Amino acid sequence: MNNDNDLKEFDALRLDREIAAPSHMKQRWHDSIDLAAQREVRDQRKAGRPFSLTSFFWGAAVTTALAVGIGIGVMLSDDPVVVEPNTYVVQRPDNSFDRVMQVHLRDTQNDIANLPIDTVEDRTMLVLRIIQQNRLFEQAAEQNDADSLARVLRAFEPILLQLAANDIAPEDAEALREQLAFQLKVMLTKLERNTSKEITST
Amino acid sequence: MAVLDRQGPPTQAEFHEVISARSDRWYSACLKITRNRDLAEDAVQDALLNAWNKRHQFDRSARLDTWIHRIAINAALGLLRKSRPGVLEALETEVEGPEPTPENMRADEELGRDLANAMQNLSEIERVCFVLKHLEQWRLKEIADEIDSNTGTVKQAIHRAVKKLRVRMANLQREAL
Repeated sequence: MNNDNDLKEFDALRLDREIAAPSHMKQRWHDSIDLAAQREVRDQRKAGRPFSLTSFFWGAAVTTALAVGIGIGVMLSDDPVVVEPNTYVVQRPDNSFDRVMQVHLRDTQNDIANLPIDTVEDRTMLVLRIIQQNRLFEQAAEQNDADSLARVLRAFEPILLQLAANDIAPEDAEALREQLAFQLKVMLTKLERNTSKEITST
Repeated sequence: MAVLDRQGPPTQAEFHEVISARSDRWYSACLKITRNRDLAEDAVQDALLNAWNKRHQFDRSARLDTWIHRIAINAALGLLRKSRPGVLEALETEVEGPEPTPENMRADEELGRDLANAMQNLSEIERVCFVLKHLEQWRLKEIADEIDSNTGTVKQAIHRAVKKLRVRMANLQREAL
């Protein structure tokens, strides 16, 4: 087989035509490198930090207290928000669940953007509220067979729990906040694209 | 573009530089292999993170964009294999291409009418082998190793792809008359 002749012959098909990647994806690729670099710096800093038994016990205590608190809160809370995701479960066919999820993610994005990094108590309270909301929407996603969405929401929780701890350094809190903001942005972009695809196809 | 006389692993700035300059090319290659925009996007994303994590292994005598390109192609093949298991195994008897899915059709819009029409008639293995051989200039042995096959099967797949594309070419020429 003569490769050059084949290629010349197929030039008319413009086989080597370059296709522009969507701009939001290019942004995501740039962001992912920044995020990986930040994570690396943070990990190196952590690796260099000596192990502190007090800090470990304190962190474990806060995490346990938060988990128990949230669990009790979820069980006892009669906050109207609990109803919200379940209401939309019924409306799944017209894509309203995705839209509600977008609203939730945008709200979380705003909360994360305005998170007080230096005031530990305020930050813990706000993060606690975000965790509670996040769990409700995670359950709703599971009930709506949106497994990948539920997985992403579940993955937010360890980061949120770290953010809620009061012995975290401000620069670490900032890095976690950026990581969350990035993941929220990616999730939102995907959801928005899915919604617009469905609108276009109907 | 990445400068060759720099020392040490590629920097964050160099990665940004190549993403700005070459990501369209990586995306195009992945899209031609997967015929699926989400898989192509994920392949580039995986490749970048993989390249970043292994940047200490990067040989400065090579080009950073070419290195990432190769990783992206491998990632695309991996994702294609994962999304449709068995699709790249030896399929000597396969004649027809797979049924187009809505996602394939959307990806085809981006690939352009002529190329998409031509590619539509190829099976997965024919398309992948053809793209890797003719557009990515891989050797037959490299393709065979990558898709866990042998050079005979790869040659056959490329031969069938070329034959089908020639038919498409003939149709194009007839349309042009």
